[in-house]
Amino acid sequence: MRLRTKTAQILGAAILAWFGCAGAAAQSIHLPPHEKVSLKNGLTLLLLEKRGVPMVSFQAIVKTGAAADPTGQEGLAAVTAGLLRKGTQTRSARQFAADLDFIGGSFDANSGPDFTGVSAEFLAKDLARGLDLFLDGLLHPSFPQAEVEKLLAHNVDEVRSAKDNPQQVLGRYFSGYLFAGRSYGRPESGDELSLKRIDREAIVKFYDSNYVPGNTILTVAGDFNAAEMRKKLEDALSAWAAKKVPAVTVAAAEPVTGKRLLLVDKPDATQTYFAIGNVGTRANDPDRVAILVVNSIFGGRFTSLLNEALRVESGLTYGASSRFDSRKQPGTFGMYSYTRNETTVAALDMALDVLRKFHKDGISAEQLAATKSYIKGQFPPSIETSSQLAWTIARNEFYGLDDSEVNQLEARLDAVTPEIARQVIEKHFPADNLVFVLIGKASVIAPLVQKYAEKQDARPVSDPGFWPPPSGKN
Amino acid sequence: MNSIRFGSAAMLLLCAVCLASAQTASQEFPVQSKTLKNGMKVLVQSDHSIPNVALYIFYRIGSRNEHPGTTGLSHFFEHMMFNGAKKYGPGDLDKVMEANGGSNNAYTSKDTTVYQDWFPRSALPLIFDIEADRIENLSFDPQKIQSERGVVASERRTSTDNNNSGLLSEQLWAAAFIAHTYHWPVLGWMSDIEHWTMDDLKQHFAMGYSPSNATMVVVGDVTPEEIFALCEKYIEPIPAHAPPPPVTTVEPEQLGERRLVVRKPAELPLLTIAYHLPRTNSADFYALNILRTALFQGESSRMYQRLVDKDQLALYVNSYSPMAFDPTLEVNYAQPKLGVDPAACEKAMYEELERVKDSGITEEELQKAKNIRLVEFYRQMRTINGRANTIGTYEVFFGDYTKLFDAAKNYAAVTKEDVQRVARAYFVANHRTVATLVPENAKKEKP
Repeated sequence: MRLRTKTAQILGAAILAWFGCAGAAAQSIHLPPHEKVSLKNGLTLLLLEKRGVPMVSFQAIVKTGAAADPTGQEGLAAVTAGLLRKGTQTRSARQFAADLDFIGGSFDANSGPDFTGVSAEFLAKDLARGLDLFLDGLLHPSFPQAEVEKLLAHNVDEVRSAKDNPQQVLGRYFSGYLFAGRSYGRPESGDELSLKRIDREAIVKFYDSNYVPGNTILTVAGDFNAAEMRKKLEDALSAWAAKKVPAVTVAAAEPVTGKRLLLVDKPDATQTYFAIGNVGTRANDPDRVAILVVNSIFGGRFTSLLNEALRVESGLTYGASSRFDSRKQPGTFGMYSYTRNETTVAALDMALDVLRKFHKDGISAEQLAATKSYIKGQFPPSIETSSQLAWTIARNEFYGLDDSEVNQLEARLDAVTPEIARQVIEKHFPADNLVFVLIGKASVIAPLVQKYAEKQDARPVSDPGFWPPPSGKN
Repeated sequence: MNSIRFGSAAMLLLCAVCLASAQTASQEFPVQSKTLKNGMKVLVQSDHSIPNVALYIFYRIGSRNEHPGTTGLSHFFEHMMFNGAKKYGPGDLDKVMEANGGSNNAYTSKDTTVYQDWFPRSALPLIFDIEADRIENLSFDPQKIQSERGVVASERRTSTDNNNSGLLSEQLWAAAFIAHTYHWPVLGWMSDIEHWTMDDLKQHFAMGYSPSNATMVVVGDVTPEEIFALCEKYIEPIPAHAPPPPVTTVEPEQLGERRLVVRKPAELPLLTIAYHLPRTNSADFYALNILRTALFQGESSRMYQRLVDKDQLALYVNSYSPMAFDPTLEVNYAQPKLGVDPAACEKAMYEELERVKDSGITEEELQKAKNIRLVEFYRQMRTINGRANTIGTYEVFFGDYTKLFDAAKNYAAVTKEDVQRVARAYFVANHRTVATLVPENAKKEKP
């Protein structure tokens, strides 16, 4: 009971301070000031104070992701991340969960293609316990054999479960087919077979060689004193010994030439889910702001050309969009939508027609102005919370970008001219070279989609893996 | 449960797991309130930390107010609210809003239809002009009705027909409610989507969209004075009319367990178990939320520990209960792992419930659940968007936004005995409905 009383009092005070404060309205979009510290062991530390809401957010980036998974052991980075909280040198998995839940904290670890993200969040009053938990998971996982087996079995079933929902796996098939066996084509989650080839030894080896200070960015944002936090972290991290930093290289993929199509058969589907695209751009592409603007017009928002055509004007679908998934090396560009089996061809034709017209007609001055205004107006809520801020500066640091990504955004948007937009369409939006991935009822749609590509592939959704098929099948 | 205009539905579950709140006096929580002459209540909270505004309008109308033959009409109508009025014709609303830096969305539940605008403060007068135009002068373009029918049918195919958990949930609710209108899905049955008429839409508008049936919440870079002035200019002149007729049907007491099976091609089975709960605005609301938190939230929760960790029966296990005007359900669900009989998951879930009914939860579990609810409160309240949604949700479902201030006190007051009592009172075999999705033609593979 003592704890509850204390909690209520502290929070009462915090809430008044928070809701009572009325800071000056921002004149333009800016990141709050923050500091960057390079520790002796090679770790990059970023600290950002944001008072008001009594929470503290941690965001670590370990600069190794699924692209570094050994061939045949896809999912290794993700499994390693998933096991961080499943037993440490001083806590069992159960104890970790109990300690975390008791203070209402969060701890999440996931691997994307380029890096592994470990994030956590706590009330400021629980900072000491929260910091201890966060660092325990990040620095001292023990990978108990029983937990390794449990998580591997769990993740195999998770892949199967995802295959019951086409929207969850479309991206995995699309990346797989587009990159065809190269780094970015391998499923971050692993698949039904690759996960079975992972063992504790591989996990420990992956952890030891990649979770090293020189390969790590640690960001803390929220309600704390930066000088005190810096001292705390320097103390806590001083025992984390410097080690050789792994050389993670991902080869850049060339865009696919010609047209190819993969049809994934899901016999009970009443809709066809599709992705059409090609190799996209790097996260630090010099054109990235112009690409943001141009894609917003093409398929990046509700009134985009794709959504207007496929949803608003024709009612073929609940949604159509396009997206550049930009990475260290060129990632994916895709147009995405779904429509009932019978209108599959109509929707695909229409998406291709929108793309063709985009190349032909380009962008009007009016569209350009409206889009800049839209992006500027929608941006501030994306850096509203401490976790959003921690993520923003950590990501910038990882990709070699800086605060100007935010602070100069408005000026960079203003600098996008119709001519630049035209060049961006020409350079970054595919025209004739296209990769199609469809998940749907093959018995109905297979004969109808022959016309889209000279090269065609097919496989049932229930077959293990994504693409390419394991062990030379298909 | 809810169905949204576009995008992800993940955030919508938030309002299902209600919030803890900190102890603070209402006069110190700077929400300003005003009721317009036409009956619309307006709630404003200033926050100048970002130059943006979140504006929500909650209408107290949802699929609960519908009838057989036109189920899903509330949700369809929500879509039509974006398809043209007098001043802003078809397509104009979205285009003008976006060109001025704004965006929008909306969601429909069994009880409410909620419109959301997010915009820079520079767009304030425009947003009010747009909202007033569509509340007062919505147009019913036959061509737009036809194309939007296709959009909603596609939404249904995506969220229900091609989504196993959506499909099973629909069947579960239909079995658990035989009389009350919570029986049918928010999106409506497909044949109703195909057949409703323009007259149905007009009747729905006349029934549900009186300003007196709505609450507006504005949070962000605004002052209450300017919002009230904009309301007087744009919203107050819109006349009030009769509210929707009351929903008088009361679900009769369930007198025995109901079971149903859905068979279809699938990789993995699914299990859902529903129990009847009282409406949101009831004395047991807080104890029920604490029970749900102790059982289901976090990897140290009882159900996770038992089904996912210890016995390794399920891929996940969780629970939700939507905010509701009338007695509703708590739905507990799990995905059995490959090769696991759903009956094994079901048995384990019952055993965990029985343990709470027999021996209650521990003092530590009680405190943990309260702490979790408190942090959830902060997560929800730390953005202007989350705050607008929370303030409006309390106003609508508890009848008064100031109930938000009592939430912390109400959670603090929950005892172990309360938790045990509600577990015994509501989680009884005769009142449950069990729905299972069984993969058909699945391979006889073992893990």
